Amino acid sequence: MKHTKTLFAGLSILALGATLTACSPGSGDGAGGDSYEIVVLASSSQNGYNQAVYEGVETKAKELSESLGVTIKTKIQDGQFDANTQLSQLQNAGTSGSVDGIIVVPHDGPALAAAFPLANPKPVAAVLNPIGPEISVMEPQVEGVVSTVASPPANGAKLQAESVVEYCKDIDPCKVGYLAGLLNSPLDVERVAAWDSVIEKHKNITVVGTLEGAYDRDKSLTAVSNLLQAHPDLNGILSNADQQTMGAQIALENAGIDPASVFLTGGGGTIEAVQAVLDGKWTNDFLNFPVSMGESALEQIMNSILGKDVAPVVDADSLVDVGPIADRSVLEAAAFTGQWNG
Amino acid sequence: MTQAANTTVTQTRERKRFSVREIAIEYAVLILLGAVIVALAILSPSFFTFGNIVNILNQNAPLVIIASAGTFVIVSGNFDLSTGAIYGVAGVVSAWLAVSTGNVVLALAAAPVVGVVLGSFNGIVITKLRVHSFLATLASSMIFTTIAVLITGGSLITVTTPGFTALGRDRIGGVFIAVFVMIIIAAAFWLLLSRTVFGRHVYAVGGNDEAAELSGINVTRTRVFVFMLSGLAAGTAAAIGVSRIASGQPLSGAGLELSAIAAVILGGTSIYGGVGAVWRSIAGVFLIALIGNGFDLLDLNPQLKDMVTGFIILAAVGLAAAGRNRR
Repeated sequence: MKHTKTLFAGLSILALGATLTACSPGSGDGAGGDSYEIVVLASSSQNGYNQAVYEGVETKAKELSESLGVTIKTKIQDGQFDANTQLSQLQNAGTSGSVDGIIVVPHDGPALAAAFPLANPKPVAAVLNPIGPEISVMEPQVEGVVSTVASPPANGAKLQAESVVEYCKDIDPCKVGYLAGLLNSPLDVERVAAWDSVIEKHKNITVVGTLEGAYDRDKSLTAVSNLLQAHPDLNGILSNADQQTMGAQIALENAGIDPASVFLTGGGGTIEAVQAVLDGKWTNDFLNFPVSMGESALEQIMNSILGKDVAPVVDADSLVDVGPIADRSVLEAAAFTGQWNG
Repeated sequence: MTQAANTTVTQTRERKRFSVREIAIEYAVLILLGAVIVALAILSPSFFTFGNIVNILNQNAPLVIIASAGTFVIVSGNFDLSTGAIYGVAGVVSAWLAVSTGNVVLALAAAPVVGVVLGSFNGIVITKLRVHSFLATLASSMIFTTIAVLITGGSLITVTTPGFTALGRDRIGGVFIAVFVMIIIAAAFWLLLSRTVFGRHVYAVGGNDEAAELSGINVTRTRVFVFMLSGLAAGTAAAIGVSRIASGQPLSGAGLELSAIAAVILGGTSIYGGVGAVWRSIAGVFLIALIGNGFDLLDLNPQLKDMVTGFIILAAVGLAAAGRNRR
């Protein structure tokens, strides 16, 4: 009797174990109807860029689910543009047994490095910014990050500055205003330094003002309106964000200046910005492809889960065959309309 | 001269010194505003131009309207931390209506209505649930922001409806329409607070709500009405803001509530309630605005802007505190 009980208990444990194993997500090799849960840690879920990244993740999840015969579930969490909130979310996701992979749009990449090693290691992909102390290093800097889908911030900024140089080649002095995001953000500090590194070599270009646009249309409108009071003969605005350039465009129009008569560039590749370039109001735009970045991040995470080759760095600028700096002719040729609203 | 006469002269001199000091304390915000105007006029030839003055007035029209109503809230002994969120909801509702219906008047008129509804919600929660206004409006700001995000899906609503930008961008005689709206609303708020029975009730409630109750003032109704005014102002400011940038953004009002409170306090309105004036808050708004304008005109490091603003707020509030301690 005692042996029968022991045998029954042992079989029960084995059965329970087998059931749990079968039910546990991410347990299979990608075939046979396995289920995987991917969490997207957005720097803010209330933000167009993050929403576009998530749209890409969802699209790719659907595509891979069908082609691999598995179920990929996705969910998004709101980092509220707060480093501590996002750090906690990353630690929690790394502890949770239900999560198989993590995609992060870091609000503060260096701060998130503190979450590693995760308590229960899961593959992590960073989108837009790397996770780790070096904001310009795209190769994974901490153990656990399997892929970074991004491009160094200085790359795009240098391309923008070079297009200013081209615009100003026959103008002396060529008065240009910088419209940076946040001058206390490492990302924007790097971009402004990149602008400077190109502009400083050209003596005909004078930087008449460095403004903070804070990625906000209204704040940028105010700042550029003020700058135009001191420099009504401004030749151009170098901005790293489309929302800011849109504010600059309104400021120029309010001042009775045709936006098409000055150099205007933005960053982001929003639908509105692309239209502004196509309309001839902006000179060009530095394009971003957040939907494609989300798709690529999910692809790399699934590769890692399924034991396939993972690209440690995916150059975000090369995901779509256009740009990344795009003027009217480039956009017309590519028929690109933008991937997001911002 | 007799000793009595000497004493009288000395007392007169002391009174004179005292009154100059009192005036300096009483009008600290105007003195600081004057000093900044003089400094900028000397340092930047672009400052005292028609275009720049009109720009400053236009840029700050929404904040002036919110701070004017915010004066009622703070004089009544309360805080409204939800004005930025109300601004966001009212703005996205307006943009959504413009895109959905194509009716510009309906869309822009909806913003103040949304403001009044959300302001009434605040007032009712504060008076009926007896939650402190600081906590109640902190909570309601989260609720309102989420509503704005749900309306837009976290993105923005771009408005291309013809005529929608008239309120924010069109001019009459070179002056933006928004500036005229600001002047009319600020004047109405000033008259309401300083020249009406309701205004006296607001001061009484903020000074001592129990005494106000005992003297027959309906404290609850006064408080609800004060928050309705605050919502109305935030909604009206949103109509101007959304028309200006032609886009509804759920987080467009983020931080506006703190800017308004800073301007009200900077003007000399007491955070303890019972003391304050609308003109003071308007002066506070423009003192902060001129610092920003000056930084851009003079191409000063924008990172220092907040530090300078902080020191000026400390100076103004410190002067007011010194005045209170003397009394």
